[in-house]
Amino acid sequence: MTTVSASAPPASRASTRSVAPLGRLAAAEIRWVLRRPRTLVLLGLLALVPIALGVGIALTGGPGDGDGPGLVAAVAGNGLVLPIAALGLALSLLLPLTVATAAADALAGEAAHGTLRGLLLAPVGRVRLVVMKAAGVLTVAVLAVLVVAVVGVLTGLVVVGGPSGTMITLSGTTLGLGEALGRVALVAGWTIVQLLAIAAVALAVSAFTEHPLVVLAAVLGGLIVFGVLAAVPSLEWLQPLLLTSGWTAGADALRDPLPLDGLASSTGRALVYVVLGAAVTVWQMRRRDG
Amino acid sequence: MTAAPSVAAPATAAAPDAVAARVRGLRKTFGATVAVDDVDLDVPAGAVLGMLGPNGSGKTTLIRMLLGLTRPTAGTVELLGHAGDDLTAALPDVGALVEGPGFHPFLSGRDNLLRAATAEPRLDGDLRGPVDAALERVGLADAARRRYRGYSLGMKQRLGLAAALLVPRRLVVLDEPTNGLDPAGTRDVRRVVAELRDAGATVLLSSHLLAEVEAVCTHVAVLQTGTLLVSGELRALLEADAGGLVVSTPDVDDAILALREAGAPSYRAEGGVAVPPGALEAPEIVAALVGAGVAVWEVHRRRAHLEELFARLTEEDA
Repeated sequence: MTTVSASAPPASRASTRSVAPLGRLAAAEIRWVLRRPRTLVLLGLLALVPIALGVGIALTGGPGDGDGPGLVAAVAGNGLVLPIAALGLALSLLLPLTVATAAADALAGEAAHGTLRGLLLAPVGRVRLVVMKAAGVLTVAVLAVLVVAVVGVLTGLVVVGGPSGTMITLSGTTLGLGEALGRVALVAGWTIVQLLAIAAVALAVSAFTEHPLVVLAAVLGGLIVFGVLAAVPSLEWLQPLLLTSGWTAGADALRDPLPLDGLASSTGRALVYVVLGAAVTVWQMRRRDG
Repeated sequence: MTAAPSVAAPATAAAPDAVAARVRGLRKTFGATVAVDDVDLDVPAGAVLGMLGPNGSGKTTLIRMLLGLTRPTAGTVELLGHAGDDLTAALPDVGALVEGPGFHPFLSGRDNLLRAATAEPRLDGDLRGPVDAALERVGLADAARRRYRGYSLGMKQRLGLAAALLVPRRLVVLDEPTNGLDPAGTRDVRRVVAELRDAGATVLLSSHLLAEVEAVCTHVAVLQTGTLLVSGELRALLEADAGGLVVSTPDVDDAILALREAGAPSYRAEGGVAVPPGALEAPEIVAALVGAGVAVWEVHRRRAHLEELFARLTEEDA
């Protein structure tokens, strides 16, 4: 540690720290993420998903119009299913796109702007940098899911309506408002964990490149490849490895009694992705040129 | 632009031989390309060292290794007494503008600096004071709230300089600081460098503008194709390179005649008569001239321009 700047000028309060406090770094990162126009645009688009779904269902009529996918059909006249259907729909593309964008900007984008260099020179320690960036991406993931869930609940109650604040499960039973909201919260939490898996992998890719588009292409391309692999019968043994193959479990929240197997196993799989992605990100950032 | 606060941290009661930065046997290869080849260099504490070299001579790579942004292939770096894995411990006291300014286009200049300030370990409490002071120092106070997207090249460069000056520094590293600056901006950089030097900070700047280096630097290091051709005190290098004397006199013809008789070949030069080194020492020359009744205003050692030195060094090696 150096102690030479003991008598610093009075203009600023000087400190003898060798790194800035993590709380301040994370707060600045979150503020920065939330000021980005693209973050706000994506959150706005996500809010439109349940609205469009709700309005569409309300306009095309009530129960009995069962042409859509099962979950969407179940929304008709059953408003509290809307947030769960909207989350499932958004998870197929828009939510992964949102967190992948945040992760792409977090490291690759900073490198492209030359701002990563500034952070490394400050210096923000390399591991701290990953933690601070993860805080920003986590914030985006949580906000994105909350936007869909909250707008979904409101749209469901106001536009779609239903049997007086209750939810009719796929099993035919009726849940009260409190338990219905609990089911929505369960799916929201489960979706956040799935997004964290994507975010961790996206950050790992982001650590290797200075082209944000590479990150987006890798993540979205990867999801498409997973979908293709899952559709090939002879590759069924791959299923337990594919993140996306557990994504049908979200609809389990609409069954009564609640089956937890699918939700638990897909959450476990996502956490493995999180650990691997985080490890690769830290490893690469520690050796990356600034 | 005026009444700038003190910007450099007071240096340690520096021994005359103290170095701010030292590299030994530094080498960097990218595949088959050798970017920096076995460089030994000392940056004395309190010096303003200008690193000169044509494009692609390894200046930026050397600076990046010095700051720990790039790992050397071989060799060691010591920065403000820190080396090896501990190198980053020196960075809070180092301000740097490397490879151009890096900022986010959607934020204003001031918000960009505020974001940079949150990462500065030495700053505490309200960050707005240091940020506004830095903006004032580089002449950006009026444009501080405009988006970085709309900045001119020179304004971007000024903002990069402001980021390097956010904290009182012991060492400031400026890679091509006058890129894109107009003459007023170049003067501002010169003024900032002089202020840093007066405050006891060490400055390392790279440039391919020789006049720039000659105007502000006390020391130079000349790089070519990754090799350090020469380094040392600017004045000593220039004097060693030139040699000979210049005699200012109104009686040029008489002076040449008198010197020839005294056994010293001489010729007409700008400002009087030039005497190449070797034949006679200064007192003998003055004695010969005065003895011949030639009026002598001044006798001084002829100094080369950095440009001559640079041209000679880089060409003979090419």
